[in-house]
Amino acid sequence: MPDLPRPVSDWLVGLVESQRSIAHLLVDDAATLLDSGGDLAAYGLAGTRIGDPACEQLPFLEGLIPIPESPFLLRSLGMPSGRVADVHLIAEATATRIILLDVTTEHDQAQRVQQKAYDMTLLSQREARLIARLEAAHAELTAAHGELARSREELLVTHDRLQQELRDAERYVRAIIPSPIEEPFRVEWLYVPCTELGGDSLGYHWLDPDHFAVYLLDVCGHGVGAALLSVAVVNALRSGALPGTDFHAPADVLGSLNRAFQMDDHDDMYFTIWYGVLHWPTGVLRHASAGHPPPVLVRGPRGHVGEPVRLNLAGPAVGIMPTSRYTAEEVCLDTPARLYVFSDGVYEITEPTGDVMDYGDFQDLLAGPTGDGRGELDEYLRLAREKRGASVLEDDFSILRLEL
Amino acid sequence: MLQKKVCILGAFGVGKTSLVRRFVESIFSDEYLTTVGVKIEKKTLTVGSEQVSLILWDVAGEDDTTAIRMSYLRGAAGYLLIVDGTRAETLDVASSIRERVTAEVGPVPFLLLLNKADLTDEWELPEALDPGLEEAALSIVRTSAKTGHGVEEAFQDLADRLFR
Repeated sequence: MPDLPRPVSDWLVGLVESQRSIAHLLVDDAATLLDSGGDLAAYGLAGTRIGDPACEQLPFLEGLIPIPESPFLLRSLGMPSGRVADVHLIAEATATRIILLDVTTEHDQAQRVQQKAYDMTLLSQREARLIARLEAAHAELTAAHGELARSREELLVTHDRLQQELRDAERYVRAIIPSPIEEPFRVEWLYVPCTELGGDSLGYHWLDPDHFAVYLLDVCGHGVGAALLSVAVVNALRSGALPGTDFHAPADVLGSLNRAFQMDDHDDMYFTIWYGVLHWPTGVLRHASAGHPPPVLVRGPRGHVGEPVRLNLAGPAVGIMPTSRYTAEEVCLDTPARLYVFSDGVYEITEPTGDVMDYGDFQDLLAGPTGDGRGELDEYLRLAREKRGASVLEDDFSILRLEL
Repeated sequence: MLQKKVCILGAFGVGKTSLVRRFVESIFSDEYLTTVGVKIEKKTLTVGSEQVSLILWDVAGEDDTTAIRMSYLRGAAGYLLIVDGTRAETLDVASSIRERVTAEVGPVPFLLLLNKADLTDEWELPEALDPGLEEAALSIVRTSAKTGHGVEEAFQDLADRLFR
């Protein structure tokens, strides 16, 4: 303690007293309150009772008496009054002196500074966590994007391969249709599937020097399955691979096809077909139909309105009922005449307005004056596309013309 | 009446004051108000058939520049060590506090409280905590000062262990 003149030391005591609300207590080693004084009320301790246990009146003393070292300081202790005190504990002979000095102002200042610092720290920690989450999410998205890009590449490769295979298949389907012929009569055809692979097919061939077979079929649906079935049927007819069948007899041929291609054995697919056999020496056409649109025979020369004859003959589609029976009829193709065989996709054209061209309209079109050669069939396709309002039609477009 | 001193320790902002207020006054506020120094609360509860008191020392949290004053631990019968489940770094602070308490005051019994259990979407603590901390703790309790989940049970558990 410096040797201060009495006025100085008195002034300092007065200063501390005025600023720190000095209070003091004395507690013996048995934690009994022996004495108290000063501004106890400032700390909410005015009611302390001398002689009573100190720890019940001053809970902060619990476990502290006797103090482990002297002096012992508890900084910034919240007091019952709400003030904050530095608590100094000083050991005496058999007791502990407790001095309370008000530090509320300093405490409040420190709290304001600390509050801001902690708020900032918590914000920065939160920001760091958010950034870490964003970075993790970004990394995941980047990885997912890479995976998607790889999948897309693989899909494109697969798609290109499938497209190539579809083109190959479409070429094969088209290749099994015979080329147009010019002698001894003309046969032309036009086959335009609505997708890469359609369900229509057609064919014709000489059964013997006098008999010429013609057929056109339409498998329900489109795509690979329908195309495979149509190819199988045409190959069966071309190669005569229907045991016990008289290919000169259309009803017999359709019956055999019905037995061979039941839908239960062919993925629920069925088909319509028209089959005719022309006896060239007499011009008699014997024909039968399995649910197929009736062909149209137009008698009379080109360039004039002809006489249309609808070869209307009923018969169930092939594959639906094993017990189906078919009948055949005959008609004479007097020269000059044109026979048109086609699938429903040729005339069932839905216009953008919702109107649908019907069979009768198409029959009238066929009976009208026509040009020569393949151009006539191309014109029907152009008209169909024009009515549809699109280059891709709803259904396969297949038409065959036999002209005597 | 028997009474014992229990300190509430942990990093800043883990919810020490909120846990004490929830336990003593059954209230909670979302507003964060930092503690400077120490605040003392008293809570009477029953252990067995006896009424006892816990003198709760809500000690200012520890940060990067200010360590907990070990003088506050003098005479403590036990302590609650609080971790904020949404801030993994507060687990490291808790481990550090536990080591210093053991070194400077002795093996004071404690419970480890994983607080803010209501914020499940923001939970950051791993399933496996610090092995030394897990082994030393009397028990580990998930608490939420906001909902009150686990709070009463944690304080009662510590009281049961200290007074029996």
